Amino acid sequence: MLDALKDIVRKSSIHVCLVNSGGCNGCDIEVVALLSPRYDLEQYGIYVHNNPREADVILVTGAVTEQWKENLRRIYTKAPEPKVVVALGNCPISGDVFNQEGSSVNAPVSDFIPVDAELSGCPPRPSEILEAILAVAPGAIAAKGRQKK
Amino acid sequence: MILPLGPIHPGLKEPLRLKLKTQGEKVISAEIDYGYVHRGIERIMEGKTWQKAIYLAERVCGICSYIHTQTFAETFEKISGEQAPLRAQYLRVLTNELDRIQSHLLANSTFFKAIEHETLFMYMLALREPVMDAIELLTGNRVNMGWNVVGGVRMDAKDIHLQQIMEIMIKLEAGYDRYVEMYEQGPLVGLRSKKVGRMSKEDAIKGRAVGPIGRGSGLKHDLREDHHTYRDHLDFKVIWRKEGDNFARNMNRFDEIPQSISLIKQVIENIPKGDTRNKVEIGKGYGEWRNEAPRGEVTYMIETNGNLINNVSIRTPSIMNIDSCARYMLNDVATVSDAIATYASVDPCIACAERVIVANEKGEEKHYQGIFDIK
Amino acid sequence: MSSVIWYMYEFARKSWAEKFAGAKSEYEIMEKPDRFRDFPEVFKEYCIGCGACTAACPAPGAIRLIRDEDTTDHDGLTYPEISVGACIRCGFCAEVCPTDPKTLTCGENHLIREEFTILPVDKMYVIDDYLCIRCKKCMKSCQVDAIIEEDNKITVDQSKCVSCGDCTDACPVKGALKVVHIANIDEQKQIIRLIVDTLEKTIENRQEEIKKLPHDKTFKMEYPLATLKEKALDIINKEDMVQDLMEKMTDRLKMRILTWDKDKCNNCRLCVNECPSGAISYNEEDGVKRDPDKCLRCSTCYQTCPFGVAGYYVAKFRMDQNIDEEDVILITLKPSQLPVVE
Repeated sequence: MLDALKDIVRKSSIHVCLVNSGGCNGCDIEVVALLSPRYDLEQYGIYVHNNPREADVILVTGAVTEQWKENLRRIYTKAPEPKVVVALGNCPISGDVFNQEGSSVNAPVSDFIPVDAELSGCPPRPSEILEAILAVAPGAIAAKGRQKK
Repeated sequence: MILPLGPIHPGLKEPLRLKLKTQGEKVISAEIDYGYVHRGIERIMEGKTWQKAIYLAERVCGICSYIHTQTFAETFEKISGEQAPLRAQYLRVLTNELDRIQSHLLANSTFFKAIEHETLFMYMLALREPVMDAIELLTGNRVNMGWNVVGGVRMDAKDIHLQQIMEIMIKLEAGYDRYVEMYEQGPLVGLRSKKVGRMSKEDAIKGRAVGPIGRGSGLKHDLREDHHTYRDHLDFKVIWRKEGDNFARNMNRFDEIPQSISLIKQVIENIPKGDTRNKVEIGKGYGEWRNEAPRGEVTYMIETNGNLINNVSIRTPSIMNIDSCARYMLNDVATVSDAIATYASVDPCIACAERVIVANEKGEEKHYQGIFDIK
Repeated sequence: MSSVIWYMYEFARKSWAEKFAGAKSEYEIMEKPDRFRDFPEVFKEYCIGCGACTAACPAPGAIRLIRDEDTTDHDGLTYPEISVGACIRCGFCAEVCPTDPKTLTCGENHLIREEFTILPVDKMYVIDDYLCIRCKKCMKSCQVDAIIEEDNKITVDQSKCVSCGDCTDACPVKGALKVVHIANIDEQKQIIRLIVDTLEKTIENRQEEIKKLPHDKTFKMEYPLATLKEKALDIINKEDMVQDLMEKMTDRLKMRILTWDKDKCNNCRLCVNECPSGAISYNEEDGVKRDPDKCLRCSTCYQTCPFGVAGYYVAKFRMDQNIDEEDVILITLKPSQLPVVE
């Protein structure tokens, strides 16, 4: 009973923390575009702010640069359980065009923190992000919440 | 006390550390710590052909990605001594202005978010979406367009697309005045923006402020005046203001949007028929080219051996703007929330700014701390 | 009162309930516009396996060629595979794809005219006219018609070439069709210089043994490859490229070695005047002296000297494995057959 209630609450109130760990900014902007009235992310109970301490979902949008190598882990530990990490865009998945000789990126993100879902595209369209988040995030958070017990 | 903000902070969209020296609620001075998004793009570009490097140039910055490819392509065109066909030049202006509109709307919406004016924030984003549609219609992608090549543009725009863009522009213009009025005459917005974060003209020159930030402080400087397409074919005037506060900077952006719309209309009405791409034999040597990005001037300095890029250096506007913000605007700001609003009004783009690593004699790398660190 | 309730009921039933049931946002947000450039589509059956798309792709690891397993009936198909985690949707692969119809399509880019499909490659294919026997096998093997005949010479049209390497397999003459790495010529020069210097030093260190070599015998020695390769990799960090370069280099390299046996010298000073570069000098204390740095290895001194002070040998090289299966460079020294003034 309590679990079911918790599931409902967790599914309907998702706080998102956006972490740009060294990308081109394009994915962040598409997430901002998601807040616009056309896509209206908040109608699905998803609230985007940049505070890791109250986040359920950490959106990572970037190949990991030198300064993020340790800080990414720190941010991950600061988010409360249950939490879901979503790698948004190509940078956190493969390093995109930056992952070449001479660069200072350490992609992928999954080397540093556990990644639950991936969404490719450079950058993905807002509708693709929306589709992916709605398909993955609520269920994943609820499942993670139960898993802890 | 020193109040650190960032790199991940509700007030900041991008990673950057802002160290505010505060006394009570008052902000006395600020210091900026970069280096969270340094990817080493210029180093990756070395030894690559332009066909590959242009996609890297595009990913210097995700908001003004278009102007980076245009400047990159025009630098190569300058080295080779050839120009794009006139139709391609017109199409470049069209995309550039669409990109400017969406960037300015986004910058203003970020400011409204910073002063917690959610209504205008939502209105700005609602205005921005049709412009993004127009860009997608024209180039095939919303953000990283892959549209410019050396010698022209990749795809021709069909008449029906131009017509659709024209309709979007007319719609945008029709409702536009209402939002400007909300901003210009809103008493609460005025309290949060007028006479906050002021920067005088002298300081703007000292801080090398460019773009709407410099123009908001009375620097009459816009590189579109000197660009050959704007100069020869289009009617363009520099818009600038004198106040130098948050209000002026945002108002300057608001004023530039109708001008961009009028430029787009001119382009669609006068666009000539013809080719959209020239075959360019890439020359040898060094060339540099400057263009007006939404945030100010962006410079590409490229040395090529005719096939591969030997050396490239990119100068982006954000770094000067953020520096002048930290040095001149964040002096004696009344509250910390005003400091964040001032920072947002500069339209900072950290992805652009991460260009330099300073290494000392021992070879230890230290991340770039602002132009005033280099002596 | 009842009318109010009825009105509210009607209102709720008609407009509210209907609108709620048929609610739809103004713009269908999930649909993509016509011109949107999505991930490239692959049509396997058209692919010729040239690799143009992999060479052109600006994102590392986004596209690779894979080959299906062979069955008894027919060979497996070769075709490109897109990795969506790395693809940046630029459509450049579709632009360079040389097949007709296109194997890869991506948005409207493939409508671009053919002359712009320039390929950013780091290899160039060149035909050596001196070695070419004009069998035209490469012309037949080329799938994009990039090899053409002009003035009775076979040449490669660089604007059409897609660097697939089919022609090198077809060419029957070793060295007639050359693959040149154009990306880092300066570094390649450094590697060549490094190899030549090390090999020469190794040979000079064993001069004493070489001097005793009879006129009709060859002298064989080995040089281990591992250290040399390590040094070369410091200059260019590409294993296959260095290997390729070293193989070609040792195949073609021919070195002339001069030895100097001072004990036989009678200080006649004939060679001093003959030497074209002034590498041989004479003074009272040291007698006749040769400066190896200035020497051109032209063999004039060898031909002039009546006492056989100078020895002249030709060294050839080959990369191979020795008995312990280590990669080595085999060095073969042969005394020169040039006539000597007796």
